[in-house]
Amino acid sequence: MKVKLWGTRGSIPAPGPETIRYGGNTSCVGVTLSDGSLLALDAGTGIRCLGLAQPDEPSRLHILLTHLHLDHIQGLVFFAPAFRPQTEIVIWGPASPEASLRDRIARYISAPLSPVEVRELPCDVSFRHCPESEWEIGPARIRAASVAHRGPTLGYRIDDGDSSLAYIPDHEPALGADLEQLEEDWISGFALARDASLLIHDGQYSDAEYPCHLGWGHSALSHALAFARRTEARRTVLFHHDPLHSDDYLDDLAGEARQGWERLGGDPAAIELGKERSEYELSAKAPQPGAPVALG
Amino acid sequence: MSFVTQRPLELILARNLMSALSTPAFLVDEGGLLVFYNEAAGLLLGKRFEELGTVGPQEWGSLFGPFDESGQPIPYDDLPIVSAVRAGRPAHAELTVRSTDGTSHDVEVSAFPILTPHGSQGAIAVFWPSLTGGNGAAPA
Repeated sequence: MKVKLWGTRGSIPAPGPETIRYGGNTSCVGVTLSDGSLLALDAGTGIRCLGLAQPDEPSRLHILLTHLHLDHIQGLVFFAPAFRPQTEIVIWGPASPEASLRDRIARYISAPLSPVEVRELPCDVSFRHCPESEWEIGPARIRAASVAHRGPTLGYRIDDGDSSLAYIPDHEPALGADLEQLEEDWISGFALARDASLLIHDGQYSDAEYPCHLGWGHSALSHALAFARRTEARRTVLFHHDPLHSDDYLDDLAGEARQGWERLGGDPAAIELGKERSEYELSAKAPQPGAPVALG
Repeated sequence: MSFVTQRPLELILARNLMSALSTPAFLVDEGGLLVFYNEAAGLLLGKRFEELGTVGPQEWGSLFGPFDESGQPIPYDDLPIVSAVRAGRPAHAELTVRSTDGTSHDVEVSAFPILTPHGSQGAIAVFWPSLTGGNGAAPA
């Protein structure tokens, strides 16, 4: 399984010279399964470039949405494969008692917010609520579970062969809870992330910033580290960077993350802040030390 | 790999909220098993949840009652919180609980189910000091 970060930013795109290294596109991760099939995790503005990288030929793509906040769906109407009649796209997401997944997404892909309507998309697109139980896409077993964030929000786990990816980009598991003390079955998202080859997790705020954002649905650095330690993820990428955080700020935060991880007994090489276009190849083995392969 | 059995998110959030309350509150899972009570409830009962842990109906009844107006233990299945989770409806009652030091407390109990898109995941019961002087129970 290969993983590529196409958008690492949270909340709103943050392009500019001060964010060029970590990236300014909002959440999107491409996952290439062992049979070559492609999944996109979330459809923030990063999915635009993922789409441009896809060959113009008949294909079937799955997009797994964690939730429908704009920073996770904004790229849908700029996803090139959606405008190709030979493409089949299956969009998965959380159920809601209020309206179907299609109807909720159509509020964005419709006038006056969008020049096109869902029914006008040339591709063959379908919408599916994620089941409670595990399901399969190609060779992968997919599991979705509700996690602590504002509104119906899922985290995902993808197991392909012996490797596993946990993706929980918007998550506040420490809200009202002590992650160091709590029993594991009472920790939001625990089952998704346990022993994952790679955990991509919310790390939006520094510890100093968090008190002003309590209950906003995101993690402080120490919370993300505590979650990673409790779940024993083998490698952790902190994600969903705050739009106010420049590259220099994130470099400092990355240093704090490594120090914090080391204090918790971890290998500092096994934790990092996600950078746009970084790639990871997952295997059942322990994480390879060193930086991921950066293409961009 | 094998998955950990994960509590439903709604129960996790309920527990987190209850942990911050000064009102005694109890949480049962979808099967009616007591899975948490907060510090305020622990003060009332004389035993913290961390000391007691998850308990079944028999042990709960022998430790704390509750008792009805005639002083008889109320069967676990008849407690408001268990009614709430099974019927998916709110329930209210006056009853008496006994703390570990033998003190009786007359309380009013409000219980409501935790309903989710996937059905009932459990129920919460909140204890209020009885304004009517309780149910007059004199537990044996």
